[in-house]
Amino acid sequence: MVNEELWQAALAEIELSISKANFITWFKNTSIISNENGHVVIGVPNGFAKEWLENKYNLYILRALGNIQPEIKSVSCVISTPTETKTVNEAPQMVDAIIAPKKPFPREIAAPISFETNLNPRYAFDNFIIGGNNELARAACFAVSQNIGRIYNPLFIYGGVGLGKTHLIQSIGNEILKNNPQSKVKYITSERFTSELIDSIKNQKINEFKEYYQKMDLLIIDDIQFISGKEKTQEEFFHIFNHLYQLNKQIVLSSDRPPKAIQILEERLRSRFEGGMIADVTQPDFETRMAILEKKIVDDNIRISPEAIKFIASNIKNNIRELEGALNRVVVSAQLTNKEITDEFVANQLSEIISSGKKKGITHKHILKAVSEFYDIHIDDLVAKNRKQDVVRPRQIAMYLMRSELQFSYPGIGEKLGGRDHTTAIHAFEKIAKALSSDEKLIKEIGELREQLYQIN
Amino acid sequence: MKLICTQDNLKKAISSSERMVSKQNTLPILNAILFEADKGSLRLSATNLEMGIQIKIGAKVEKEGKIAVPAKLISNFSANLPEGESVSLELDEQNLKIKSGRTQATIKSFLAGDFPLIPKKTTESLFEINTDNFKKIINRIIVSVAHGEARQELSGVNIIFNKEDICFASTDSFRLTEYSFKLSDKNNINKDSYNAFIDKNVSIIIPAATLIEMGRIISNNLSDIIKVTLEEGQIFFEIGGARIVSRLINGKYPEYKHIMPTNFKTTIIGDKAQIQNAIKMASLFAPGKSSDITLKINQETGNVSIGARSAEAGENATEIDFEALGESQEIIFNSKYLLDGINMIESSKVALLANSETAPVAIKEVDQNTNNILEGYTYIVMPIKN
Repeated sequence: MVNEELWQAALAEIELSISKANFITWFKNTSIISNENGHVVIGVPNGFAKEWLENKYNLYILRALGNIQPEIKSVSCVISTPTETKTVNEAPQMVDAIIAPKKPFPREIAAPISFETNLNPRYAFDNFIIGGNNELARAACFAVSQNIGRIYNPLFIYGGVGLGKTHLIQSIGNEILKNNPQSKVKYITSERFTSELIDSIKNQKINEFKEYYQKMDLLIIDDIQFISGKEKTQEEFFHIFNHLYQLNKQIVLSSDRPPKAIQILEERLRSRFEGGMIADVTQPDFETRMAILEKKIVDDNIRISPEAIKFIASNIKNNIRELEGALNRVVVSAQLTNKEITDEFVANQLSEIISSGKKKGITHKHILKAVSEFYDIHIDDLVAKNRKQDVVRPRQIAMYLMRSELQFSYPGIGEKLGGRDHTTAIHAFEKIAKALSSDEKLIKEIGELREQLYQIN
Repeated sequence: MKLICTQDNLKKAISSSERMVSKQNTLPILNAILFEADKGSLRLSATNLEMGIQIKIGAKVEKEGKIAVPAKLISNFSANLPEGESVSLELDEQNLKIKSGRTQATIKSFLAGDFPLIPKKTTESLFEINTDNFKKIINRIIVSVAHGEARQELSGVNIIFNKEDICFASTDSFRLTEYSFKLSDKNNINKDSYNAFIDKNVSIIIPAATLIEMGRIISNNLSDIIKVTLEEGQIFFEIGGARIVSRLINGKYPEYKHIMPTNFKTTIIGDKAQIQNAIKMASLFAPGKSSDITLKINQETGNVSIGARSAEAGENATEIDFEALGESQEIIFNSKYLLDGINMIESSKVALLANSETAPVAIKEVDQNTNNILEGYTYIVMPIKN
């Protein structure tokens, strides 16, 4: 039996006869150094353990060892630790005593998000690209930032995801702080607002919560649609809203849809939202997309051919975030593979995400589902052979989308929609395409339908 | 146990031992101070199993005995006892009864038999050292000890015994302090055993915590002389009636002698207070964590300046009236590391010795009158890589 096993066996027995605290304190890091002629030498980590084991636990140890190897007659301790025996065996390591302290990685001074206002200083009017899609919203926001609380109160900005709502409304806050650092500005998402409210109710600090928000000069609430259906939040928000409104304090709201389309919103709130200025941001047109990409290229010092930019701008249409994502993706993969960014390279890289619906796994079924949900009619009615007035238009829109998004053939479209003739499909497509040039409402509807489609996966 | 002692003696002894009481709770007895009365004296013992202390104070003992008393309670209690009164202690089964003036208390205590045994030294003391000198060494050397337990050997102070001096060193791997203490007849060296140590090339590592405790105990003015004894794995100090024992850190201290620069291309000498102020001002402008400041030495103009700049704060530069010899230099330092070294200088003048912006820079003391650089204390700091 080697020393290690012997000691383990002995420890197991000793552990039974003394308290756990004592065992841990005195027998931690102990070992048998030698076992010769009936005399065992135990290595202990310090003088205290040596004294204690030799004088107090001597008998326990001897008895435990004696039970295993009866020839052991005496025990003594020396101060040593396992690490010491190791260093003796190994060649002495040369460790340099001092080294140069490393300079911390020179990172850009990341613009800190202020805790008080929650504003990200990155968002400013200066770096917002103006295009036809956001002209009105931008002008309204800028006007508000120059005349806080006096015009357009509340200001309501709505539009799809990734189109720059957050950028715009935070720019107002940053602009106001720039002009007057003393102003009290708060940017918060409605979701955070709700959870703060819940916390304050839980901690019985609802009054402090209210007082805090009622002190604001500018209150910006992002994604206000999420308070739909939350009655208590709506109620508290209503009171805060009224309070601020009466004091001529500015309120700015953003949502992914107009106030009318927010479901389960109390009527008094809805009417208040509509009482100020409502502006929308829509999908950027080609020129705006080009401008956004070009600005990013200059800012980030990216080398990319003009054709490649054009390719990205003409293929990623839905969303600015996606647009920037696509550019980043191209740049990073070019860096990794060490290739120049040409339009073929870009086409290659973006083949997966380019918004031709097929590549995203969108089928005619998605379109039919989206259309039927959007217009609140049954999917069977869309396909059915009837010409009910309220079904005809959605059916045409579905045909239009199948053609424009999925590049279905006209006979194919007719077939999918209850075996209709291909001329019906041609007529539908042309009718909608024509209407799109003049009918604002239809443009918006188609836009929202597209958005829903691309959110599916 | 039954005895009477003075409140002052008792309070001092308790406060010295209480610090050493363990903070961990696995073994409740380690939170206690052991009181032992025998033959005209009261002895207090405390330990955290890394180090231990025993203090003897005079007392009129009527009956011998011992008991382990919860440290925190007795310490707070004794600190508030009326001054100048005598205190009587008496054992009542497992309680300690205390009476002083109009105050009395009964403290629930532990059986003395469970208290750890404080190791006793078995050899003669190795040498003696004056408390003032020792305190000076501790203060200087403790600055550059590494915190944290990543490298255990750096959490202690390295001591190397030489024929003429004892060399203390500490480093946290960014700076290093070396202090060589010259031995003289006053140190009452035990020649035989000391020479044996030199022959064995003994280098030991004392835990920094032990030295910090020693510094506190010294300030209780128990005696002027400390006797030091070294044994396998532990070190003993005796000051007046107090005996302190500590474990030594196992392990090999990193070799540092070879990186101590001996020749320097550039030397600047000047007023300590001036450079301290310049560093403090520059550090206000130094960026964030690294707090790097730049020392510029211009060979042609003889100008020496310390400055810093950061995007957040702005910039600053202070020209200091230092005598500069040798090549021009531009070296970046962590301001705290540089200041720590200069703060420990005792002379009113200080010397900075440099070779390049990547080589260790030394700080040394300067004789006020002759302007000669003094050996003995050396603080070395690595510049920050640019």
